[in-house]
Amino acid sequence: MKRLLPLYAVAAYLFLHLPLAILGVFSFNQSKFIVWEGFSLRWYAAALHDTAMAESAVNSLLVAAAATVVSTVFGTLCAYGLWKRRSPWIAGSLYLSLVTPEIVMGIALLAFYQWVFRFLHVQLGMHTVILAHVMFCLAYVTIVVMARLRSVDAALEEAALDLGATPWQAFLKVTLPQLWPAVGASALLAFTISFDDYVITSMVAGVDSETLPMVVYAMARRGGNPEVNAVASMVTVGLGALIVAAERLQSR
Amino acid sequence: MTRRTWFFLGLSGLSGCARDLRPRLNVFNWSAYVAADTIPKFERETGARLRYSVYESNEELLARVLSGNSGWDVVFPSNYFVAPMRENDLLAPIDHQRLTNLHHLDAPFQAPPWDRDLAWCVPYMWGASGILYNRHLQPAPAAWADLWAPRLAGKLTMLDDPAEVLGAALKKLGYSLNSNNPDELKRAQREALDQKRLLRAYLNAEVRDQMVAGDLEASQLWATTAQQAMDGSAALGFVYPSEGFALYADNAVILRESRHKELAHEFLNYLLRPETAAGVVVETRTATANAGTRALLPPDVRSNKTLYPDQQTLARGEWFQTMPPTVQRLRDRLWTEIKAA
Amino acid sequence: MSRAYTAPAALTMAILFVVPMGIIAVYSLLSRGTYGGVLPPLTLESYTRLFDPLYAGILWRSAVVATIATVICLVAGFPLALFIARAGRWKNLYLALVILPFWTSFLVRTYAWMFLLRDTGLINTILLSAGVIREPLPLLYNYGAVLVGLVYGYLPFMVLPVYATLERMDKNLLEAAADLGAKPAATLWRVVIPLCKPGLVAGSVLVFIPCLGAYLTPDLLGGGKTILAGTLVQNQFTNARDWPFGAAVSLVLMVIVMLLLTALVRREGETLL
Repeated sequence: MKRLLPLYAVAAYLFLHLPLAILGVFSFNQSKFIVWEGFSLRWYAAALHDTAMAESAVNSLLVAAAATVVSTVFGTLCAYGLWKRRSPWIAGSLYLSLVTPEIVMGIALLAFYQWVFRFLHVQLGMHTVILAHVMFCLAYVTIVVMARLRSVDAALEEAALDLGATPWQAFLKVTLPQLWPAVGASALLAFTISFDDYVITSMVAGVDSETLPMVVYAMARRGGNPEVNAVASMVTVGLGALIVAAERLQSR
Repeated sequence: MTRRTWFFLGLSGLSGCARDLRPRLNVFNWSAYVAADTIPKFERETGARLRYSVYESNEELLARVLSGNSGWDVVFPSNYFVAPMRENDLLAPIDHQRLTNLHHLDAPFQAPPWDRDLAWCVPYMWGASGILYNRHLQPAPAAWADLWAPRLAGKLTMLDDPAEVLGAALKKLGYSLNSNNPDELKRAQREALDQKRLLRAYLNAEVRDQMVAGDLEASQLWATTAQQAMDGSAALGFVYPSEGFALYADNAVILRESRHKELAHEFLNYLLRPETAAGVVVETRTATANAGTRALLPPDVRSNKTLYPDQQTLARGEWFQTMPPTVQRLRDRLWTEIKAA
Repeated sequence: MSRAYTAPAALTMAILFVVPMGIIAVYSLLSRGTYGGVLPPLTLESYTRLFDPLYAGILWRSAVVATIATVICLVAGFPLALFIARAGRWKNLYLALVILPFWTSFLVRTYAWMFLLRDTGLINTILLSAGVIREPLPLLYNYGAVLVGLVYGYLPFMVLPVYATLERMDKNLLEAAADLGAKPAATLWRVVIPLCKPGLVAGSVLVFIPCLGAYLTPDLLGGGKTILAGTLVQNQFTNARDWPFGAAVSLVLMVIVMLLLTALVRREGETLL
């Protein structure tokens, strides 16, 4: 089994990365269609000169960053709170938010915003998108952190409390350090979900808050536009480099 | 934090600080409906800014603007969506005084069936659905009925749209594609179910690449998308089916919520200018509703039988209409049954 | 005291989820507006329409597809999570590599698969030129393609929580098992898997639910030839413009999933939250 596992991992990573690698190769295709006609950088040039694309990329990063930070903090605290004392109401609403089809959540949020706008004079925009993203990321963060909490020994924290720590100190100094891997994993998950969301975002986005998936979706629906391949490759390589760099810094 | 993050934060900060005070028009349109220089030229002429974005379906558009505070000024619904938008109180009336170029519109679009006086909309582009096929198919398909031929098994697609699929079946049976007669609709459903066994898939614009690559032999497709495919491969041909076919038109409308109605009119008038429309048509391969434009088009575009079919062909076309709720519900039920089969 | 911890999340959920869903519940009881939207009077019609073998069949088929996708993710995701958890100093990198493909748009990923599976796609081209097959295999636009797309789309949702529990696992336990003479396979089956059950359950739920409501993948990779629950709901809000019925279908769907979850939780004695 020791030898089988790495072998399997290689196959799994191939499964995960090969489709996109191939897409990357075809982002250098001269032809507009999926027929190889020779090497060209024209789609990269087109993507880089596309202001709508650049703007939406900035929007997406801002939304994802804000939603990740807020939902990770709220979700981690919430998981901890639920671990200490169950609350069927909160758990129930988190579960329900998971089982709600995206389109329904989008319509529900839009209806809600419309209703609120009657009293407040605001328009759809970045704020409505970020609020929606925080909400639908919360359940994911809470579940991942909770899965980890269940294997944490409560006695440690009780010991800290007995030794005079305040509950907040006990949480920060004793329990939270044990949760870091799960918090990190859940933040990654939240970022991924937020960065990738199309259905809900497209319902609650205003004129100035178009995100990258919305632009890419519109483009891809027009047929296999290689500019999409170029953007996808740039995002993948850019974020990949970021992760590797962060990893290097950490392991130093 | 990494340098990249700072860079992006800086970027967004800058865009926030250097707030542009010029009036801004927000335009939401179908993709591939303006040329590269259409927008910049308007901005230069008027000194206004224009925010331009695209959508892919009427439903998407309606969902976005239904709130009445979406921020968009000018949008482009299809003909059968103009009435729904008007009844939802979303549209502002068109001021003909401001549209000095309105007379350039083709005669049929001066008084279209969906808005006789052009009180709420200005027709922009139009199109039709027909059959895109591979020329090595002999004999070439000429009618919807030919899309029921077993030789196409596994090599055929229809549009993923109930109005189009039922419409083709209704036409095959000799009925109106806007039929609201339950018996006719049920017969059409049986035809569609019959055909489903031959289908590779129900696909919209995505089918274009697969036709170019030769995966498929024939597909029901919109003329403008078909033309783009034919530009990519000489092996493809397009035909307007002999039983008749669906016509649609996309229209510019000004939303009631718009705070720049004057500028919006100015933009519509700019789009109506024959030179503007000609630039769009040559670049995007679409069919303009502007008669003044025709004279400016290169001969090969003007005589393109796919984009601009002759009068005789056009006479077979039928405009899509808005359905009453009960018929809409029946049609949806029939469509769900087709899909679930 | 624990209220203070849950308060921010509870408030967020109350305002941004419970209230909006309440509006949807009201929608499901209203009549259909001619062009989308809702109108009075109140009616139960949207629910009575659901008592129809057509819609029951669609829900059942969606459940079957989602179950198969979840089982595949479970079988494929567990060893990957195990590998990452045991990868020592590289594990964060390996973990990131699992997620990396998912930062490109969902649609781009789906198109990548369409490109691979097409008649003139890479797989068929290679098989044809190698002489393995004479005619292109019909790989795209069927349930197989939909399953590949779903598994590809939701595998990280399985790997992340499983990894989170595995990583935490006490190495001493495994060594103790080995010392006591347990074979690796037995250790895996009797020690590792039971201990990471919370992660496995969490992962399965995180995969099953979005699969049940998915509509873009079945539509794009299934070629629109089949209708699943997600597509049905989507259709009601867009093409069919029947918001009350769409709301009713989605509420019923949500109730069924909640019941399933509760049953699972009861039987396994496990809870996620």
